[in-house]
Amino acid sequence: MTADEKRRRRTERLGQAFTWLCGGALALNLLLTMALLALIAVNGLGYFWPKKITLLTMTDGSARLGEIQETEEIPGSDGATRTRVKVGNRDVTGADFVWVDDADVRSRSLPADATLLERLEWGNFYGAPVELRRGDEVLASGPEPVVRAVGEILPQRIAERAALQALERGQIGDVNREIEQLRLADRRLDLDRLTEAEHARRRAEIQQEMEVHRQEYERLAEQLFARREALAAETLVMRTADGGTRDVVLGEVVRVVQPNALGVLDSLGLYASRVWEFVSDDPRESNTEGGIFPAIFGTVMMVFILSFVVAPFGVLAALYLREYAPQGPLVRLVRIAVNNLAGVPSIVFGVFGLGFFVYLIGGTIDQVFFPEALPAPTFGTGGIVWASLTLALLTVPVVIVATEEGLASVPRNVREGSLALGATKFETTWRVVLPAAAPGIMTGLILAMARAAGEVAPLMIVGMVKLAPTLPIDGQFPFVHLERKFMHLGFHIYDVGFQSPNVEAAQPLVFATALLLVLVVTTMNLAAILLRNRLRAKYATSPV
Amino acid sequence: MTPSEGTPFPLASPMDGAPRPPAADAPPFGRSASALRRRLRADRLATLVVTAGGVGIVASILAILVFIVAEVLPLIYPARVETAAELPLAGGAARALDADPYRTHVAALGADGVLRVISLGNGSVVAEKSILPAGAALAQADASQADVFAASTEDGRVILTSLDWHADFATGSRKVTASIGESRVLQLDAGGKALRAFAARLVDDRGPVAVGQLADGSLATVAVVREENAFTGAVTESEERTRSEPVAPLSALVLDDAGRNLFGGDAEGRLLWWRLADGKLSEPQIRAGEAPGVSALALLIGGRSLVVGRESGALETWSLVPDRDLGSALTRIHALPGFAETVTRIVPSWRDKGFFASSRSGDLGLFHSTSEQLLWQDRAPLPDVSAIAYSPRGDTVYVAGGGELAVLDVDNPHPEISLGTLFSRVWYEGYPEPTYVWQSSSGSDDFEPKLSLVPLLVGTLKGTLYSLLIAIPLGVFGAMYVANFMAPRLKQIVKPTIEIMAALPSVVLGFLAGLWLAPRLEQLFPALLLMILLFPVLVIGAGIAWDRVPARLRSKLPVGVEALFFILVLAVGILLSILASGPIERLAFGGDFQAWLLGTTGLPYDQRNAIVVGLAMGFAVIPIIFAISEDAFANVPASLVSGSLALGANRWQTVTQIVLPTASPGIFSAVMVGFGRAVGETMIVLMATGNTPILDWNPFNGFRTLSANIAVEIPEAPQFGTLYRVLFLAALLLFALTFVLNTVAEVVRQRLRRRYAEL
Repeated sequence: MTADEKRRRRTERLGQAFTWLCGGALALNLLLTMALLALIAVNGLGYFWPKKITLLTMTDGSARLGEIQETEEIPGSDGATRTRVKVGNRDVTGADFVWVDDADVRSRSLPADATLLERLEWGNFYGAPVELRRGDEVLASGPEPVVRAVGEILPQRIAERAALQALERGQIGDVNREIEQLRLADRRLDLDRLTEAEHARRRAEIQQEMEVHRQEYERLAEQLFARREALAAETLVMRTADGGTRDVVLGEVVRVVQPNALGVLDSLGLYASRVWEFVSDDPRESNTEGGIFPAIFGTVMMVFILSFVVAPFGVLAALYLREYAPQGPLVRLVRIAVNNLAGVPSIVFGVFGLGFFVYLIGGTIDQVFFPEALPAPTFGTGGIVWASLTLALLTVPVVIVATEEGLASVPRNVREGSLALGATKFETTWRVVLPAAAPGIMTGLILAMARAAGEVAPLMIVGMVKLAPTLPIDGQFPFVHLERKFMHLGFHIYDVGFQSPNVEAAQPLVFATALLLVLVVTTMNLAAILLRNRLRAKYATSPV
Repeated sequence: MTPSEGTPFPLASPMDGAPRPPAADAPPFGRSASALRRRLRADRLATLVVTAGGVGIVASILAILVFIVAEVLPLIYPARVETAAELPLAGGAARALDADPYRTHVAALGADGVLRVISLGNGSVVAEKSILPAGAALAQADASQADVFAASTEDGRVILTSLDWHADFATGSRKVTASIGESRVLQLDAGGKALRAFAARLVDDRGPVAVGQLADGSLATVAVVREENAFTGAVTESEERTRSEPVAPLSALVLDDAGRNLFGGDAEGRLLWWRLADGKLSEPQIRAGEAPGVSALALLIGGRSLVVGRESGALETWSLVPDRDLGSALTRIHALPGFAETVTRIVPSWRDKGFFASSRSGDLGLFHSTSEQLLWQDRAPLPDVSAIAYSPRGDTVYVAGGGELAVLDVDNPHPEISLGTLFSRVWYEGYPEPTYVWQSSSGSDDFEPKLSLVPLLVGTLKGTLYSLLIAIPLGVFGAMYVANFMAPRLKQIVKPTIEIMAALPSVVLGFLAGLWLAPRLEQLFPALLLMILLFPVLVIGAGIAWDRVPARLRSKLPVGVEALFFILVLAVGILLSILASGPIERLAFGGDFQAWLLGTTGLPYDQRNAIVVGLAMGFAVIPIIFAISEDAFANVPASLVSGSLALGANRWQTVTQIVLPTASPGIFSAVMVGFGRAVGETMIVLMATGNTPILDWNPFNGFRTLSANIAVEIPEAPQFGTLYRVLFLAALLLFALTFVLNTVAEVVRQRLRRRYAEL
């Protein structure tokens, strides 16, 4: 074997090894992506599945009742393990979770009557039902009768609760808003230049009307309090793991579950009901429980407004750059600049949105149209319209780039054919080029929407809040309230995951939210990829 | 560039020429001349709309930059000071001045010892009262404490008189009145001789304190101690007096807010510092200097910075700095550009660390201590300046001279900003040495803002560095494999997967990094080290094993099996590393990696640290680097590759010697774009680091980036305030940095594409 041949062999072997290294890098990328998606999916989907309630009897005679979370080795010990148990009953014990040394556990069991109460406040309650009372009257006693009785009464109470909420938000909310409007009208009087007599007359009118509304409010409030009291009529007496009893007001219970006695079908039903609650209900307990409907609604509405802005403007700009502008170094420069804008950090757009939209434009609108509300800002603070516009700026390059790609992929002979048939440039563009480029435009729009749905940093500055009491659309004139703050899925993840008082208990919910967000974004991106591939296949000659 | 880009419409479109008459067999579009005219009008309108719209949109996108620059620029505007009014001052030359917060009145202490409240509207005296005891003559006066006049008399007494400004809004318009309090008289020199220098304050919770240098050079102090009987509420007052050893004649004396630290300066240029506690005066700490004599002293707001004016016109700031031997040492922390002549007066601002100073030659200057800037300088509007006062809001300065008063408008919004305070070491008051600090706000009003961008820049680079360390190899090598060695059918699955990876919202990555990965990595850190070591061994081993599979069998397997095999091997490897983490920690790191780290290297381990960020942000950057480098690899002209292979080079030689060099500009631009993405990423760093703006490169520590800093602080920054503009500057830096990086990358890529086209 010659030296040359030896060297050749060596490089070949080295090359082989390096090839495998490259393959390994790729495999690692894929593995990480899949693992990450799986992690979110498992944790997010697992959140809704009813977990068994375990009774841990300790060697010292005490007991713990709750859901087993995880078991780990105690740091610094030799093989001793401990288990984390979600014992709930925050109002009794103060914390949702306890660590239990496995050495101290005498036995574990799954009592059939172990019951989980999901409550409006204080989180989950674990215990066994003893009695159901209405005042001093005992309606049922013993685990089974109580559960049966609760099964009958609870739906009524839940319906009543919904009715009360409707009353609070509906009629009482209306009256409150009218009072607020009158107060603003009253302030406006001082700002308008009026004659003394006119001023006095109008003020008297306003006062009179205000009085009417106040009485109405008093009446409704009284009604509300009376019905609230009725709602709290029944109490459920529960026995906790340590043998004590605890009264739980039935009107504050969301759901009663005995997971140890559930069959697979029941579990599936419960699963579906919890998923529905998650996507359709308002949050509870400072966002750590309940649903995320307002966040879904806010995200969708923001993306909706954004696409209304981004689509026409993005397409217009792309049309100009590709079809109308004289091609030359200047347009090339502009194109690079627009391209690069997509790479500018989103927080920079947030800063711009705050300074330009919120403070400059919003502040001006306030001064011109809402002087009576100042110094409380109306438009001069973060709101859904500013968030949408900020994200529109952020995503318009995406639409421009994709539309341009779409326009470029329309073959020249198609255009020339149209022109040769006597169509004007506008007619060619409108009837021939644009329809052919439609998949490109759609791709860009979908990508823009997906990016906007997942973007959080700029929104933290220009309009998102932890908890928005009202949706940006409701029955109040003018029905669409663009100035309102809103909730957003991505911000919900950040807020609940990092700023909530009970991060540990909220983590499963955050996983569920993250799953939803990832699902939405991934679906949109896949759709965009499919569309683009179809476009590229259609005009296979297209340059990229 | 695309072929269709040159001249989009080689055929003249109808709008270019004259309208063609409609032919007999008219085209399907219009049938008459009027229809044709309508069509052409529509066409012209469309051209107009598209052009206007397109130009408008492109311009408005680019206007973002203009807007941000416009918000930043005022940071560097010079201060403006203009004489707004001059009016005659009743009572002649004022010895001390005090102003109300509303710019309606000033109070002036005349040489006759009469305190006059003067309306700025017409110069009329609305209230007056002599603050001196009967028969006393005024020697020196000052108003360095807000709304308190201090004076010494020719017979060695010190007088303190407070003044209260009231604003009454009851009648709908504002009405400002002043009430002059009772004078407190403290006898410092029993001998009845005039004091050489004095300092006096009304200390909030204790009572008046006065210090003066007697004719023999000793310092006499008087402190009134007020004691309240807890049961009866009766207040008893007693005087505490001390007398110190004589020192050289002092030219200036100042006392801090609490009446606990006394500073003096003498004609030899020495600075002296005494502590005044429990009615006793400590031995002075003396800072001797070759410097010219001290001519004026003043404490800036907060009482921690002493501004020293000298006979040479020099201005310096001194502060009590922690010292190993002395506890605290009076140290010079700033030297400011001074005057050409002796400094006569220093008047600190009530709002920031700035001050006005005047010189003997009649110059007036506005300075800022932290930023060591002379913000404005001009001749005083009046000759023989006898008193200067800053308004509480800091927007007006009153200068008394001759028998007149000048009202000066001061527009000085961002005095604390200079290139130095943003980017170099600054010696902040109370700090042992000059340093880089970001601390934008605090609970107290007299806080010195510390706005150094350096810790944030370093934090940004640190996060970027660690994420690129992960993303570059994984992204580039992965792309190399996909472009050069992978079956096309498999590519159709792999590429969308990587695109999904790119689309994952960063808030989700940040959440997983901060709440899922960080606590696990803290426990299983050795597993990560093991994985890094194991990775090459595993993949090369797996590759060799795969090669050993008989070719006959291999060809029968479906295409994706190879990839699945690799993924499986890696998954098993990761699992093994996690299982082996505990034993390795016991064997190599004494059972506790964190303790070992701290013991061996002295580095602390934070749960949310740069490695966690590197992993999460690396994950976000990989697909970007992958996509661009894959593009570069895949577009290497096939002729080059086949030529190389035909000449007998093997696959490896072709890749390293042909493909890699040809595509290297593309990889460069991939890294640039990835760098840009990592620099600006906000949510991941916000969630996966502790966000403390510390300055070090320890990978086991947290940091704060420019972007996270903006997200954290801008909601609390008042509009148009200094912090607001500095955060805009941070945004501008990010914008400029990413824009430049992306432009360079784009230009490189276009050049590469042109080169490919030529090959």
